[in-house]
Amino acid sequence: MRRKTSIIAPRFVVALIVACGIALIAPRAALAHAILVSSQPAANSTVSGPDVAVLLKYSSRVDLEHSTLTLLDPDGKVEKITINSETSPGSLSAKLTGLVKGGYVLRWQILAMDGHITRGTIPFLVK
Amino acid sequence: MIWFLKDIDLLTVLLRAATLAFEALLLGGVAYLLAVALPAAASQAVEDFCRRGIRMAALALVVGEVALVTASAALLMSGSDLTLKDVTTTNFFRAYSVSILCAIGLWICARLKSRPATVAMLPLSLLVIAAMVSVSHAAARINYRVPLAILTAAHHLGTAAWLGAMPYLWISLGRAANVDEARRMSQRYSRMALLGAATLISAGVAMAVFYMGTWNAVYTTTYGVMIVAKIYLVLAIATLGAGNWWLVRRLASDPKPLLARLRRVAEAEICLGFAAVLTAASLTAQAPAVDVTAQDRLTSQEIYARMHPVPPRMTSPPLAALAPPISLEAAVKANEFAPVINSDANDNAWSEYNHHWAGLIVLVAGLLALLSRHPTMRWARFWPVTFAGLAVFILLRADPENWPLGPRPFWQSFTAPEIVQHRFGALLIVVFAVFECAVQAGKLKARWASYVFPAMCVLGAATLLTHEHAAKVKEALLAEMSHTPIALLGVSAGCTRWLELRLPKSRMATIAGYLWPLCLALVGLILLNYRESA
Ligand SMILES: [Cu+2]
Repeated sequence: MRRKTSIIAPRFVVALIVACGIALIAPRAALAHAILVSSQPAANSTVSGPDVAVLLKYSSRVDLEHSTLTLLDPDGKVEKITINSETSPGSLSAKLTGLVKGGYVLRWQILAMDGHITRGTIPFLVK
Repeated sequence: MIWFLKDIDLLTVLLRAATLAFEALLLGGVAYLLAVALPAAASQAVEDFCRRGIRMAALALVVGEVALVTASAALLMSGSDLTLKDVTTTNFFRAYSVSILCAIGLWICARLKSRPATVAMLPLSLLVIAAMVSVSHAAARINYRVPLAILTAAHHLGTAAWLGAMPYLWISLGRAANVDEARRMSQRYSRMALLGAATLISAGVAMAVFYMGTWNAVYTTTYGVMIVAKIYLVLAIATLGAGNWWLVRRLASDPKPLLARLRRVAEAEICLGFAAVLTAASLTAQAPAVDVTAQDRLTSQEIYARMHPVPPRMTSPPLAALAPPISLEAAVKANEFAPVINSDANDNAWSEYNHHWAGLIVLVAGLLALLSRHPTMRWARFWPVTFAGLAVFILLRADPENWPLGPRPFWQSFTAPEIVQHRFGALLIVVFAVFECAVQAGKLKARWASYVFPAMCVLGAATLLTHEHAAKVKEALLAEMSHTPIALLGVSAGCTRWLELRLPKSRMATIAGYLWPLCLALVGLILLNYRESA
């Protein structure tokens, strides 16, 4: 049989690295994995203040400890929101208090149990 | 910074692809060693090569997973106040740590040659699968977690036994001390692969049924389109594999040339197998079709409106009619939250014109390559020349806001990844055209030079499998629908050309020789019908 010192494994590794290198420069919009199924308040809706209950439902299990919720108020100030811990799997709830009239943006970042990170924003109006 | 983060996002998809591939290679190596090489009483040389393969795959997996964890951690920490310490308590961090430790364990086991070390490989491999399953789609499901986790584990197991072990068979057949040993190994592998393929396919079908939910998900969601791509690749591998299965049965009679053929076909199978793994990685970056809401799904009317054949656009609108380019700085700023898609009908027409001319060029190249098979049409073997035209075309017209047509200077515009991609693509095409011309003309006799074309086809197509265009879900899906067939045809063209070059003169080689120009021509036809809007 043919005797050559090289072995396929390193060649494979090289081929894979090359493939990755090329793919690296291909643009790709990261498509979210855990999908926001429903939100309360709904995006672009008007709610009455000063207290607003937040309930976000996702298509997959969410690691609540490692998910974050921030609120951008009409003055452009960013505030971190505490997430309630006792919700059912796949949902995230919180309470916004003391909201004044104006436009807010709720920003969420969740870590799904499969390690995927998803982000999104929910703009809403307080009347 | 945001641009940087987007790159990390992309990087995690690619690292996932790499770790899936390395995992298959590692576990496939273990499966091959334990179920094929050792029971078949393989020679020391073969066993050593298997162990070496396992060690390399283990190292590669460790490197890949460390990079993946780092990228994921960076992604998680940015845009939140989570600290590194928080990251270490996440599910994915623990899972990857376990599989990294197991991979190191496997590396050590492959180094030690004792019996207990060899036996210990089995539980370590199963632990790697368990860790991978704990960060799969299944683990994040709200319902039916356990059955889905079992199916996912079976899918990984089948992949390792069939596709992951294949490179080891390939190595072994080249290292076997005698024909008898090679025959024993291929027979054992063929049994294991059959079992692995059955496991992979049945688990895959069950998962597809669950994750898709409805039949129309096949064409209304990206997940469905990628599943179809995977099915195509698996069918192609299975077709080659079935041929091999018959070869293995016939090995008793006249083994030597048959073994050579077995190895050649295995090369094409390995290539298709890793394309399938890449598709699988793209799938893990997609939400399962059942989760996709109606408003994000395509309707058949939308698909028809986009896909029904219309005459290609061979003239473009004047440059001045395009949406005026904004400065690079502003483009970067605007991109921070959502990519800007301020393209109008003229921009679309411009892009379609580009794609259609590219399609025409590829179609002509494919047809010429087909013609050159005929003894009186030998001049047609210079078909790669057409590609040089394509490269010039891409360089000049792909990014009208840049040099030479637009105000953005040549070097500065490299900051946009899409432009780098286009230019790199153009460069690759030129290199390829030169090579292939020399090869076809018989001026370049080196073996490796003739492999440049199939390798480029496969690599280029593989890139397309991970490629997405628009930020809007439906737009991305419509783009995916035209890109995925091109990618699959590209992989097929590369593999069939490879087979034509590598196989000894046989009917299979002749068929392969007709198939790849046909694939090329089909790519051209799809491009000719490419559209950016209905
Ligand atoms: Cu494209």
